[in-house]
Amino acid sequence: MGAKGRVLVAMSGGVDSSVAAALLVEAGWQVVGVTLHLWDAEGEQKVGRCCAPEDRDDARRTCEHLGVPHYVIDERASFRRDVVEPFLDEYRAGRTPSPCVHCNRTVKLLRLAEIATDLGCSHVATGHYARLLQGDEGEAPVRLLRGRDLAKDQSYFLFGVPPAVLGRMLFPLGDLEKEASRAEARRLGLPNADKPDSQELCFVPDGDVRAFSRRERGPSAPGVVRDAHGEVLGRHEGVEGFTVGQRKGLGVGGGGAPRYVLRIVGSDVVVGSGDELYRHELEAVGVRWLRAPRGAFDGQVRIRYRHEPAPAHIEPRAEGFHVRFEAPQRAITPGQAAVVYVGDEVLGGGFIA
Amino acid sequence: MIYLDHHAATPLAPLARRAMADALGAALGNPASPHAAGRAARALVERARAAVGSSLGARAADIVLTGGGTEACELMIRGMPRPSRVVTTELEHPAVREACRGWERAGVEVRWLPAACGKPPSPAQLSEALTPGALVVVQWVNHETGTILPVAAYARACGRAGARLVVDAIQAYGRLPIDVADLGVSALCVASHKVGGPVAGALWVDREVPLEPRLRGGGQERGRRAGSQDPVVAAGFAAAAEALAGRLERMAEVADWRDRLEAELLAAGAVVNGAEAERVPSVVNASVPGWRSDILVAALDLEGVCASPGAACSSGVRAPSPVVRALYPAEEDAWRADSALRLSLGPEGLDALQVDAACAAMRRVLRRRFG
Repeated sequence: MGAKGRVLVAMSGGVDSSVAAALLVEAGWQVVGVTLHLWDAEGEQKVGRCCAPEDRDDARRTCEHLGVPHYVIDERASFRRDVVEPFLDEYRAGRTPSPCVHCNRTVKLLRLAEIATDLGCSHVATGHYARLLQGDEGEAPVRLLRGRDLAKDQSYFLFGVPPAVLGRMLFPLGDLEKEASRAEARRLGLPNADKPDSQELCFVPDGDVRAFSRRERGPSAPGVVRDAHGEVLGRHEGVEGFTVGQRKGLGVGGGGAPRYVLRIVGSDVVVGSGDELYRHELEAVGVRWLRAPRGAFDGQVRIRYRHEPAPAHIEPRAEGFHVRFEAPQRAITPGQAAVVYVGDEVLGGGFIA
Repeated sequence: MIYLDHHAATPLAPLARRAMADALGAALGNPASPHAAGRAARALVERARAAVGSSLGARAADIVLTGGGTEACELMIRGMPRPSRVVTTELEHPAVREACRGWERAGVEVRWLPAACGKPPSPAQLSEALTPGALVVVQWVNHETGTILPVAAYARACGRAGARLVVDAIQAYGRLPIDVADLGVSALCVASHKVGGPVAGALWVDREVPLEPRLRGGGQERGRRAGSQDPVVAAGFAAAAEALAGRLERMAEVADWRDRLEAELLAAGAVVNGAEAERVPSVVNASVPGWRSDILVAALDLEGVCASPGAACSSGVRAPSPVVRALYPAEEDAWRADSALRLSLGPEGLDALQVDAACAAMRRVLRRRFG
């Protein structure tokens, strides 16, 4: 047994989780590599994507290289229930879901923590770019901070993880820049040191949400594309796949100023000019606080993963919170997570109503 | 490490290892070559053939050596003359299942006899499915649960109906005495790596039955299986087969170890799969409520115990045990297939102290969860 006890490391087969595992081995932990089998890629999408057999093989090879055990654990059923089905529901309801937030909260970290207990592991580690601080006794036992590399920071995806689980987590890459992490991979001789990062949604690797939705749920209700005054500009075959701020693929071509999706109302896709995309306010529901605020406060709010937290006034309400930004934000999108920061710290978050 | 996965592959028995080491050190050619090095290799292959034949009560000439168990099953099933229909069970190993599907693809109807209540199909169930000229394919001992199928009674039923019976005896070999002389079957296959030998298979075929080869090329194995034989593997197989009677004598001790592991699982609230029928002493298959197979196998591995969720699966994709599902088809028993743990054992490299240590490891792991 390693001097620091046994830690379960979630291994996707990518570079980040491999480096995380290697650093923990170096630090004297007894590492147990676990790859979750979440989804069966279909047809031609099999290669080089999350959950493809090749990725499981990469994770296995890394563990072999490190001399630690590796297991594939099947969580396809919970992934479908907790991530894919809600994702399809959200799109059909005209929202743009945040599946990675749901996945990190449910399948990845909550379930991994249970598996860790079953495997006799005190801790769970991942390759997330985020940091944890042991907090004050009592109300906030652990504090979640942005990763040191702000360009890679993944704290956005973690606000929903229960504090009891965060308290058992280790993020070995939290203090590293992405390039430093790749350099570590080379220094440690990891077999996948030069593997490209995956960016896409793991279960829709070609990014075609509409085709995926139809494969899974059949055809959906057609509707119209109209402007804010009700003038019909075109037709569509289902609201899934449309997202606020989208310009391409609206089927309302022709001359004039570019048009963007402003909102989705029932089966109507409402479009307008780029200026109309900017809004000052949002309402968040399904809220989880890592550190519960005592009242309204000033902080920063991030409305999608690729968004720099923007200064705002946050007012907790019974069912969620209300945000008023200092400056209007582009394309505030229902279904996306709104995550509240004060400086580097994640206080909590919810989903844009 | 405590190795409790003998139904997947037994550890190499010391006698087999020595025979293989000697063979590795000898000047051996291709067993088909007419020179001294070829003859030396050929002698090892023929020694394996004789040893396997003798272990089955058969003539050496009626034994075909194969690369492994799957190949032996494929040859046994698809090498038979075209049947009027194929009758098999829902309990079969994937190697047999897929070979039967091969007949299905060739246009032959396949009947799958269901199991239920933890028991294999009865001889009466089999009789109802028989037609003259049918090919009946059954395993003698189930790979996951150790359930013994009533092969002698099946053979009588086949004899009455004018059907042909072939038997996958891979998990019976070295666990039950086998004598093909009066069994009334047309062919029977076994494997070396279930009895302390290296990976290899063998098929006994009744000399009256015309066997169509599945691999063609050189005329090895009297034209029944083309391809150069591996004399080193043959040496190991020979040693394991020659020691088979001694292995059978040690099964009483193995049964005692199995019973202790089973008692430990029962104390943790497990249900034993296949306990309703007669089983070989080399395996216990149990489902522990609240534990899924893949997680329990990983947890035991971390405590130094090699166990299995069922049949060894190389694709890396978990599936609930089809055998346990077939034995307990009721909806409320579906969890048993998801939770099935197989501990299989044998005389190779195992002793009572290790069984004690395995029991202690199971206690440590199962205590982490309560139901």
